[in-house]
Amino acid sequence: MKRVVTGNYAAAFAAMRARVNVVAAFPITPQTFIVEHISEFVNDGIMDCEFIRVESEHSAMSATVSASATGARAFTATASQGLALMHEILFTASGMRLPIVMPVVNRTLAAPIGIWAEMNDVMPERDAGWILAFVEDNQEVHDMVLQAYRIAEDNRVLLPMMVNLDAFILSHTVEPVDLMEPEDADRFLPSYKPEHAYLDPERPMGVGIFTPPEYIQEERYQTHAAMEGSKQVIKEVNDEFAKMFGRDYGGLVEEYRMDDAEVALLTLGTVTSTAREVVDNLRAEGKKVGLVKVRFLRPYPTDEIRSVASRVKAIGIYDRAISYGVGGPAYIEARSALYGHTDIPISNYLAGIGGRDVMLSDIEFMFNDLLKNAESGKVRKELVWINTRGVEQ
Amino acid sequence: MFEVRFHGRGGQGAVMAAQALASAAFSEGNYAVAFPYFGAERRGAPVLAFTRVDSKKIYRKTQVYEPDFVVVLDDSLLEMVDVTEGLKDGGVVVVNTRKKPEELALGENIKVATVDATGVALEVLGQPITNSSILGAFAKATGAVSMDAIEKGIMDIFGNKIGMKIAEKNCRAAKAAYDRTISADGRPREKEFEKKPKWLPDVKELPIGGAGVKMETNAGMIGPGSFLENKTGGWRTFMPIVENDKCVACQLCWYFCPEGCITMVPYDNNRFKKGIAIDLDYCKGCGICAHECPTHAIEMKR
Ligand code: SF4
Ligand code: SF4
Repeated sequence: MKRVVTGNYAAAFAAMRARVNVVAAFPITPQTFIVEHISEFVNDGIMDCEFIRVESEHSAMSATVSASATGARAFTATASQGLALMHEILFTASGMRLPIVMPVVNRTLAAPIGIWAEMNDVMPERDAGWILAFVEDNQEVHDMVLQAYRIAEDNRVLLPMMVNLDAFILSHTVEPVDLMEPEDADRFLPSYKPEHAYLDPERPMGVGIFTPPEYIQEERYQTHAAMEGSKQVIKEVNDEFAKMFGRDYGGLVEEYRMDDAEVALLTLGTVTSTAREVVDNLRAEGKKVGLVKVRFLRPYPTDEIRSVASRVKAIGIYDRAISYGVGGPAYIEARSALYGHTDIPISNYLAGIGGRDVMLSDIEFMFNDLLKNAESGKVRKELVWINTRGVEQ
Repeated sequence: MFEVRFHGRGGQGAVMAAQALASAAFSEGNYAVAFPYFGAERRGAPVLAFTRVDSKKIYRKTQVYEPDFVVVLDDSLLEMVDVTEGLKDGGVVVVNTRKKPEELALGENIKVATVDATGVALEVLGQPITNSSILGAFAKATGAVSMDAIEKGIMDIFGNKIGMKIAEKNCRAAKAAYDRTISADGRPREKEFEKKPKWLPDVKELPIGGAGVKMETNAGMIGPGSFLENKTGGWRTFMPIVENDKCVACQLCWYFCPEGCITMVPYDNNRFKKGIAIDLDYCKGCGICAHECPTHAIEMKR
């Protein structure tokens, strides 16, 4: 059934269709409606789950971890300061290999305090051991929450996963979304059958226990290998979803008009969507530009990005966050993947920080800058602050 | 593609109207998105919402700068906000007002449509909530969506939020407004709208860490105390009328007033008897004080 709904509704609806057993969450703008919708579903009797109201995000993640460790399918959602408050327990979730799914509505992490789109909340969590997906529209929010459980619960993975959506631009915007029927969702996503961690009085087990140095290094390796292995699972789940429902997101990355492209812009989140229009416009002018939507930062699509670099003359990376003193986190990731594999110019474009509107003309600027880099073979400017007063772009 | 900007006040349901319009256009086979202006909302403050409609999937995620149509839910905004800003030539402004379109001077090369949506809403819904009626007026004035579609949009968005029965009533209000909407060619403005300047410091001027002291800028004062310049009294539609004879000085209104504009004052020259005084420069007319007062000493009047 197709309906016009917000990104927050799409996330809540998908959680209902995933038949999650436990939801523990604390409200924070702009995520609040995800939790509110779920509490309405539960109240209306159309969603059967244990809804736990907690007193903070730290408790929300703690309760979600505990629920998941008993073998329940667990869900929570947060944003910004809430995610930062969860930080400690995020590592518990991944270390205990619990397939929790959590939409994160990307919002400015203070200071300065703001409620708008910025990815500086999720970027510090790149080392937390969570799979990090980024989406560009409300349909993808809905689809990725469902895919996330398939990916996270796969025995080759067993890692928690965040689905990142831009504050307001998706969370509070309605657009048509094909909301899945329960039978279809059940066919795609069977119930969770935990094999490693669950509560069974007949077979007591210890999870998250005190561990001396003899074991931790091996555990770390296991988790690293699982993250590496999730690449294959992400692709398989994507393909199966595409076969069943006709929506193919391309797996780790999606290339848009990259055939014969001379330059490529790597994007995260909703800017991808606007950039599609810009690519079409520039292509109509005969400019050979292409777009690569980076759908995952963890695991990082290293092979895919190396392949892109081998086909173009210049590459640019868009970021909605800054790692002070270096550049955008997505840029740092791409550059590290490309080290030793390319000598084409690589540049970083910062725009939309704090929720500033990223206009078509801003993205046009990025592409034209890339074309210049491609022509000269040199980086005109490594870190380009788009539309920042008093800073030359 | 067409783009619509809604002007309302926090609490008037501009966002719901924008969403219902998107749902309406979607029911006719279009792609449609609707979103609020990404700002912090306060009841009574001027707010914006947008709808964007196209026959094919819409990719751009930017805000709307050059709308084809503008909808004004509250005619008191006409003096505060430049509602025609960015409006395309040949565009249409739909205003909730008792005035005729000829009486409004909003600019040339546009069409102006008016309807007494508040009157319609009071008649049909028994409440001055105009976000459904105005959609009927929109359908009539622009022809961009059919009245049938508007009803579907209202049933979808209002129905899912506040129940099908109330949604049906809102459809009736929209239909009544559709029938009563009249349009005319826009008249030139009597004077250009005075655009409020905005303080946009560059990286050298911006105080470090946002630690700003009170200072004068091109857009007025900023920093501690500068909110005194923001006279929220301009948002008021209803005014609190106080009868201090009934006041028992319990201070409940003082606690609850979100603007902090109530003070306890000596009353009747009696130092043991106190009453309240309301600073109307800042009272935004939310009615919370009247709602809280246990002795009904405060009444909200239009
Ligand atoms: S109506 Fe009452 S509560 Fe509301 S702002 Fe005015 S004085 Fe305060
Ligand atoms: S709430 Fe009513 S009785 Fe109490 S102080 Fe205010 S006006 Fe007086």
